[in-house]
Amino acid sequence: MADSRSIRFALALAGAMAPSAAVEAAEHEAPMLAERVAAGELPPLAVRLPERPEIIAPVDEIGRYGGTLRRALAGSNDHNNILRIVGPQGLTRWNADWTAPLPNVAESWDVEDEGRAFVFHLRPGMKWSDGHPFGADDILFNVDDLMLNPDFGPVPARYVIGGEPVAVEKIDDVTVRFTFAAPFGSFPAELASPRGQHPVLHPRHYCGQFHPDHADDIEALLKAENVPDWPTLFQNKCGDIEIPARWGNPDKPTLDPWVIVEPYAGGATRVTLERNPYFWQVDTEGNQLPYIDAITNTVMSDSQAVILEAIAGRIDLQARHLDNPADRPVLAQNREAGGYDFFETYSTGGTLLLLQPNLNHKDEELRDLFNKKDFRVALSLGMDRKRMIDIALLGQGEPWQYGPYRDSPLFHERIATQFLDYDPETANALLDDLGLSRRDAEGFRLLPSGRRVAFKVDVIPTLFTEALDLLELTAQDWEKLGIDMEINSIERSFFFERVSSNYDHDWAVWPANAGWQQGTLLQEMVPIWQGARYGIGWWKWVTSDGKQGVEPPGHVKKRLALNDEARAAVTFDEYKRVVHEIADIAADQFEVIGTSTDLPRYGIVGDRLRNVPGSMPSSFDYPTPAPTLPQQYFFAE
Amino acid sequence: MLAAFILKRLLWAIPFLFAVSIVAFALIQAPPGDYLTTFAATLAASGDVVDSERLDALRTRYGLDQPFLVQYWKWISGVLQGDFGISFEWQQPVSGLIWERMGLSVCLAVSTLLFTWALAFPIGIYSAVRKYSIGDYIVSTLGFIGLATPNFLLALVLMYIGVVHFGTDVGGLFSDRYQAAPWSWGKFVDLLTHIWVPVVILGTSATASLIRIMRANLLDELNKPYVTTARAKGLSEFRLLVKYPVRLALNPFISTIGWAFPQLISGAVITAFVLSLPTAGPLLLQALLAQDMYLAGAFILLLCCLTVVGMLVSDILLALVDPRVRYR
Repeated sequence: MADSRSIRFALALAGAMAPSAAVEAAEHEAPMLAERVAAGELPPLAVRLPERPEIIAPVDEIGRYGGTLRRALAGSNDHNNILRIVGPQGLTRWNADWTAPLPNVAESWDVEDEGRAFVFHLRPGMKWSDGHPFGADDILFNVDDLMLNPDFGPVPARYVIGGEPVAVEKIDDVTVRFTFAAPFGSFPAELASPRGQHPVLHPRHYCGQFHPDHADDIEALLKAENVPDWPTLFQNKCGDIEIPARWGNPDKPTLDPWVIVEPYAGGATRVTLERNPYFWQVDTEGNQLPYIDAITNTVMSDSQAVILEAIAGRIDLQARHLDNPADRPVLAQNREAGGYDFFETYSTGGTLLLLQPNLNHKDEELRDLFNKKDFRVALSLGMDRKRMIDIALLGQGEPWQYGPYRDSPLFHERIATQFLDYDPETANALLDDLGLSRRDAEGFRLLPSGRRVAFKVDVIPTLFTEALDLLELTAQDWEKLGIDMEINSIERSFFFERVSSNYDHDWAVWPANAGWQQGTLLQEMVPIWQGARYGIGWWKWVTSDGKQGVEPPGHVKKRLALNDEARAAVTFDEYKRVVHEIADIAADQFEVIGTSTDLPRYGIVGDRLRNVPGSMPSSFDYPTPAPTLPQQYFFAE
Repeated sequence: MLAAFILKRLLWAIPFLFAVSIVAFALIQAPPGDYLTTFAATLAASGDVVDSERLDALRTRYGLDQPFLVQYWKWISGVLQGDFGISFEWQQPVSGLIWERMGLSVCLAVSTLLFTWALAFPIGIYSAVRKYSIGDYIVSTLGFIGLATPNFLLALVLMYIGVVHFGTDVGGLFSDRYQAAPWSWGKFVDLLTHIWVPVVILGTSATASLIRIMRANLLDELNKPYVTTARAKGLSEFRLLVKYPVRLALNPFISTIGWAFPQLISGAVITAFVLSLPTAGPLLLQALLAQDMYLAGAFILLLCCLTVVGMLVSDILLALVDPRVRYR
């Protein structure tokens, strides 16, 4: 490690002794690139950068070039781990605090027609990682030829509002207008999420060769590659946002700070990325980013082996697979030997474990019972959350239902804190009033039909260690109320089959860390995704236009309408007003029960790595740590 | 005679493999959900979110929403034409993925087999001939420990000791420098410096069990009258031992070839997983966990073929070595 760095330093010195033109360039670009420029393999920096590169202010100090960032992937399906460090280079990105979207690939944007249209101004002279110019045609290719092409797949919900998909038009080579049927103020925020990268994901000049409208002879190509249809071919070669194949083709140009050299393919033991010579950001002194030359991801089959890698000091920056609170002591103990320290990753809201009754239950008696608000209130009041936090979470946490935390501008007092006090007397009285006062020989309450009030809570035991402890304690508390709750530990794909694709469960639990930022899903309050495990039937009804599932009641329909309004909101104040209106209804209904605020989590950062903030939000929508801009991290001497 | 035997066995293999392919495919499909359910579940477990409409589109494209028989037919008709389909997970042809890893798997399995034989053969003979000697007790004790310790546990312990006390890298088969490099003498030497760790780990329990088998078989033979007769006739002790009892006790060694073939893929999956070895085992396990059905199906089919071929080879060898098997 030290050797290779001193070699690079020597190269930098050698560059400094070269003719004067090279000296000038070498000051603002990495030595490894200056060398290639000197050898005539690469155009000079001024040609590679856009006319007005984005200027990034480093977190602490101007960095120096060089070094390899070492990380670890856990087996397969860990492609989003690469995404998180490279960053989703969409038209917009989140600011480091995760409060507002910033221009990213786009230099700026204008909102027109009260949020019905958005004009994005691209950076003139910007280039893909192979040097080919990037411009409006690429966006048209991604939107018209792929996103809106029914052969390629349904239009992602993010680009549909008022039932109509987006329309895009090219104003000139660097200006593009997105038009919607209704106001869509959250659009720039939606584009900042990793799932909003579609408009700038694929380079037309490269990926076009796999598209029937652009390829010379797609049929011959399909035959040669032995694939049944062009979308499959396209996906193999160009990938998609969230599939491993995105990192499987070193030939595909991107807009990312680092590009794939050794791909993430089946059987790969290592995935490496190298700096993009055409990356379009510079620091405040005009030095092209990224500072770090390369990223090496070792593929460990087993996530425990990732911890071993960290302890051995072979990981420079990572939170994923290392942020389980149970692993923290062993990581802390080896901090000095491994040469690393911790940085904090925090949730902006939500609860560690959300208990969700199936309000669309197929059994009528249970459905009626679960749908009674007083029943859910009684269960919440009957939980001794302080004891749960002391025992299961070692005191780290605060009783919490769900929703943004107190320091968030979106904090909603009632939804977060109602029915949190431990009050078994009131709980028992409420249950008695529901007609559940009869009890069986073991002291459990009986339904009017004579059945015991008993239900199962579905949980994936391997998801996180604290979940089962929290549930055990909940079961004890509820038993005191005369409620027979059974913990149903099931394998994860069975869980998804039962609880997300269908609604065959009684109750289900899942972590719900959500801060309600613009562009994120308000799934605990509105059944708009499979994570809404209280109302999967409602969600099915909505997505199938009423053909499947269960028709939602008025208060849910109202919230669905308000959710569209929240997406439409152009200003933050407007968004907050609508979201709080949704939260008011959700608080009145009190459908799901929270436990505790999320646990503090940590990632590790190597001692020599600089410009890494000590604390950052933790979420996939953010996604950690990309908005803190890893391209401005650097290794100190 | 032998040719007819081989031909008959090969013909029998066809319906057998066909039945196995159905069972294998059914087993892969048996767990609830499909590849995309598992995909969503894995992503969700890491806190990632994936659009459900994308999943539905992929499900239709991969044909996962079709009935079992339709899916099976699509798969098997491709296999008969030499097309094993595409791995959902990697978006790569299955055949490429498998062959890429088979080379190292074969290398590892053969090294382990040779290591096992080289140790078990002399030690087994020694502990049978010197029954109840100090040496026999020591070897037997070590053998029982070797038998009782799961390989993967040994791997974990060695890895921990390596990392914490020596700061070495025990995972994988190559150093960083050679991982992506093309084959060269340097890379071969690098492989040799790494491969002994998994070979020793994988070899211990097999060695231990072969020692026990060799010892037991040889003890049976040593007490037989023909041994006494030969000794009475003045045959040298070494010649006597190697020419008759050892030759008979050799049969279990030859039988191991039969199960060494399928071991190329399925052998030591967990150990290879723990050690992050770039062999076929972890890929098979991962394919099964991810319900990546074409990849898993191809592996299982290959596994069955290798079992059939391995058993055939060991039967032929046995027939060649032991006349009693031949004339039965």
